[in-house]
Amino acid sequence: MKKFKEWVASSSFSSVSASIGAILVGLLLGLIILIITNPSQAFPAFFTILSGGFTNGIKGLGNVLYYSTPLILTGLSVGFAFKTGLFNIGASGQMVVGGFVAILIGVRCEFLGSSLWIVALLGAILAGALWALIPGIFKALFNVHEVISSIMMNYIGMYLVNMLIVKYIFDSIRNQSMIVAESAVMPKLGLDTLTNGSSLNSGFLIAILFVIVTYIILNKTVFGYELIACGFNQEASKYAGIKAKRNVVLAMVIAGALAGAAGGLMYLAGSGQRIMVVDILLSEGFMGIPIALLGLSNPIGIFFSAIFIGHIKVGGFYMQLYDFVPDIIDIMISVIIYFSAFALMVKGVIGFLLKKQKRKKEKSQRQKNGGKVE
Amino acid sequence: MDYAIEMQGITKSFPGILANDRISLQLKKGEIHALLGENGAGKSTLMSILFGLYKPDKGIIKKDGKQINVANPNDANNYGIGMVHQHFKLVHNFTVLENIIMGVEPVKRGLLKLDDARKRVIQLSKQYKLFVDPDQLISDITVGMQQRVEIIKMLYRDNEILIFDEPTAMLTPQEIDELMGIMRGLAKEGKSILFITHKLDEIKQVADRCTILRKGKYIDTLDVETSTKETLSELMVGRKIDFTVHKDKAKLGDEILKVENLTVKSKVIKKNKVHNVSFNVKAGEIVCIAGIDGNGQAELVYAITGLEKTEEGRIELHGKDITGTRIRERSDSGMSHIPEDRHKHGLILDYNLAKNLVLQTYYKDDFQKNGFLKFNEINLYADKLIEKYDVRSGQGGKSIARTMSGGNQQKAIVAREIDRNPELLVAVQPTRGLDVGAIEYIHKQLIEQRDSGKAVLLVSLELDEVMNVSDRILVIYEGEIVADLDPKKTTMQELGLYMSGAKREEKVV
Amino acid sequence: MNILYFLVQQTMFFSIPLLVVALGGMFSERSGVVNIALEGIMIIGAFTSVMTIRLLQDTMQGQGLLLIALAVASLSGMIYSLLHAYASINMKSDQVISGTALNMFAPAFAIFVARIYQGTKDIQFTNTFRIKSVPLLGEIPIVGQLLFQNAYITTYIGIAILIISSIVLYKTKFGLRLRACGENPQAADSVGVNVYGMRYSGVLISGALAGLGGLIFVVPTSSGFGATVSGYGFLALAVMIFGQWKPNRILFAAFFFGFMKTVSAAYSGIPFLRDLDISGGVYKMMPYIITLVVLALSSKKSQSPRAAGTPYDVGKR
Repeated sequence: MKKFKEWVASSSFSSVSASIGAILVGLLLGLIILIITNPSQAFPAFFTILSGGFTNGIKGLGNVLYYSTPLILTGLSVGFAFKTGLFNIGASGQMVVGGFVAILIGVRCEFLGSSLWIVALLGAILAGALWALIPGIFKALFNVHEVISSIMMNYIGMYLVNMLIVKYIFDSIRNQSMIVAESAVMPKLGLDTLTNGSSLNSGFLIAILFVIVTYIILNKTVFGYELIACGFNQEASKYAGIKAKRNVVLAMVIAGALAGAAGGLMYLAGSGQRIMVVDILLSEGFMGIPIALLGLSNPIGIFFSAIFIGHIKVGGFYMQLYDFVPDIIDIMISVIIYFSAFALMVKGVIGFLLKKQKRKKEKSQRQKNGGKVE
Repeated sequence: MDYAIEMQGITKSFPGILANDRISLQLKKGEIHALLGENGAGKSTLMSILFGLYKPDKGIIKKDGKQINVANPNDANNYGIGMVHQHFKLVHNFTVLENIIMGVEPVKRGLLKLDDARKRVIQLSKQYKLFVDPDQLISDITVGMQQRVEIIKMLYRDNEILIFDEPTAMLTPQEIDELMGIMRGLAKEGKSILFITHKLDEIKQVADRCTILRKGKYIDTLDVETSTKETLSELMVGRKIDFTVHKDKAKLGDEILKVENLTVKSKVIKKNKVHNVSFNVKAGEIVCIAGIDGNGQAELVYAITGLEKTEEGRIELHGKDITGTRIRERSDSGMSHIPEDRHKHGLILDYNLAKNLVLQTYYKDDFQKNGFLKFNEINLYADKLIEKYDVRSGQGGKSIARTMSGGNQQKAIVAREIDRNPELLVAVQPTRGLDVGAIEYIHKQLIEQRDSGKAVLLVSLELDEVMNVSDRILVIYEGEIVADLDPKKTTMQELGLYMSGAKREEKVV
Repeated sequence: MNILYFLVQQTMFFSIPLLVVALGGMFSERSGVVNIALEGIMIIGAFTSVMTIRLLQDTMQGQGLLLIALAVASLSGMIYSLLHAYASINMKSDQVISGTALNMFAPAFAIFVARIYQGTKDIQFTNTFRIKSVPLLGEIPIVGQLLFQNAYITTYIGIAILIISSIVLYKTKFGLRLRACGENPQAADSVGVNVYGMRYSGVLISGALAGLGGLIFVVPTSSGFGATVSGYGFLALAVMIFGQWKPNRILFAAFFFGFMKTVSAAYSGIPFLRDLDISGGVYKMMPYIITLVVLALSSKKSQSPRAAGTPYDVGKR
């Protein structure tokens, strides 16, 4: 009980409650919009959103996890960057570039053998990493804010990939990229039969692996110590001999690698996912932002919030039965982001109130003991 | 008799502190009234209330006998109350004129009309001998001139009651004399002046009466002419303080730090920040670089510790050439650095105390293996330092640095830097903003280091500290060393002359 | 020669929205609030005003309708930006995150409402606003054809906004105080300037101008609005940085980028470029690549308003 009380008073509790608060507000607003547009169908639709994949039993659940897989990685990408003091708004571009390279290898490199998917995935990771290298270098060397350079890279990536698909791997009938070879599809590992025929595959397990690795890097290693130090205080890191510029670039590269992996996992899943040749930025990249914010940039938290977002996205898909447009989900998610921006402030308020209580208690304790007030 | 300003029963608290506890103050018309107290005594808070920056929890303010309500600086201004803050409130890329008129801008048909204002500023500056150029940018003028701009700001608004918050913090002894003269002139013209300070000399020089605050409470109001410095200081601190620092004679050893022809360029202007500086520090001595803030001492330290690049010159650490080497290499070669700004450089406030205590050593084999941190060892080490150096915090090594008090944050930095057993300890303003107890403690640590054969390079703006703690004083002025003095054989006045460039030794070092 | 006229006219259509939106961003940042939500505000402004045109175009046409639409765009942009203002100023939240939220909400909202209204997300409208030739001015040789034919009043409104912005920023009491809030809010506060109020003004102005910019962008260049402004809001941010937060330089930067965009859209009509046979994708990428290069070169000595991005806390005086 004491440990629980301690946790309640700690800053992590106020952060978590702030995140949950933001989610609740987002959901509530979604409900209100549903009610305004079509009152009779609003509540059943809302419950469909909330039940997410469960609407369709274990198959639905499997699809939620399948859908969440790339989101886990874009969440990790943005979250990792946040931890090191950077805002990786370029996950979209990194993901599409990664996805492109993965598909390219999957289509054109059949000669490499039966585990082609491994090569393709590695290619995706490398591509994403390289794509993030530019904003990283620009920030370190030229003092260009990574937000604006990443946004430029998003658009350049989109146009470039579209152009290259048309040139090298075009399925003109459907205006998208071609299907990858069998050997480039990630193994199912029996997960599909386990979930009654959903699209779940080993990609989900790989995502979990990334979560664990990211967690270890951030919290247990010297490298993580340095990166987070730079994120908190660049000047003090410099004073301590940490190479801040190098770390900025490395952090972006790793974030890019994670987003690139998201692209690989999404397009090598074998469930018919292909890159459409349209001038629209990949939304999964931007989804990484609310996921990272809700997960407080903690890899474990990101894992769960990615599944949550996947959950309501799938719910939104099923909600179409009730004659609603699935864009409602995007509206809810942007509201969640907006309120999680407050989260820091809310966290401050809750933490402050709790500290005040704690101080009062401590003061009365000391007065009892007759000791000096420090 | 109506006082110009009377504050009665002022009480104000902030989260965790009772800053003002039923304080009363009376300011006579035409008097210069000093407000004396240590750091944290509540002087700034009280004056901020008078100026409308804060609202008191309890208490009233009267002007000329009538109660007034000062809800914001605009109200204060309407009542004729003006304030010159310790940290100037000037917009760096506006002109002098723009800064003065901001808030009371003259307009004609919707657009700014500055001609009459400019004339008035010039007239005021002549009348009160506060010479300024209305069209210069703030970023281009000296600190002394910036202060004059702040004063004209008040006069332009016809303020009768002038509050000065620690006005001499950044001035040379000569500029301080000038300011005292200006204040006397203003009082003669009928202005009533309140000035906040913790410097007894200034009070004796210019104030008529002095109110002393201690830990948020009103202590007493004395007539300055008939009070001694000892009385004032005792009331300020609550006990008799021994101003001298006890130390044995220095026992000198090898030359540890050698600086030769060091030059550091300025990023902004043509002139060098540090120009052709040469000096040395031997084992067992404390050498202090003394000078007015902004004369290159910060850049000199950055060059020695590696935070900045040197244009020319050579730096040797116990015989080893470390010019141009990276910070970590200097650190590993035996240099420790207690930085000027503990929040900017010294600590990562969002890390816990333990992680901060290994900030300079986390990469060594003691604390990591194969890239993974050894948290057990780190926590044990932190506990050891906390105990040895009496660093207090809410939860020991697990406390987040941000939650610690300034004094303990500084103690943590001192602990970390000293425990590394450096050959050279560079300490920049190590006691800034700390209370007397913490200051005593840190001076003790510095002397202990010196006695155990370390070389200490101290940079300080506090003349008391400079005179008492150091074995040798190097005065820096406009980037050059202009004097090498023995504190036992020099006076504060002489030191001030060197610091302000009025005097320089013919050949130094 | 006709190609030249065509290029200049087209450049106007791409540059003026950039100019207006960048000026909006400038006002916000000059007051101390970073506003990356310009993209989202443009979308909201464009959406509401295009809807207005769509709903009214059966009964009204021409410049009158356009003026009403411009007012709607401006107003909706202002209201939408209130969200950012509140989050950044009162709640002191991270201004980049708040801006991102607004950027994500806007297209989702626009698509959602459009789908409810008509099933699809593209809202078409009839363009009755093109001015073939301005009376008198359009007949001046050369200059007339460059600037006063095939034009829209939005172009002239944009230039007017530039002139007014310059005057307001540097020659009025409001402008002086606004700039102070972005450089040293403590100083402004100490002389009685209402920092919160000034910052709200800055953000609201950016909302009004960005909303306006959304419509100014859509009208000359398309026949419908599909819930996107193709990254224009972000290009405007680059223009603002390249223009060092100064109106005159922003003008230059806006035209520089606008010209790039024009070339990328119209290259097939320029014989010399058409013959080079470079793929269309390259042209599409060009403005963004050039933006990157320009940013790299101009950010080193960037002098952004010192207090931009840092929430001001009245309590921490």
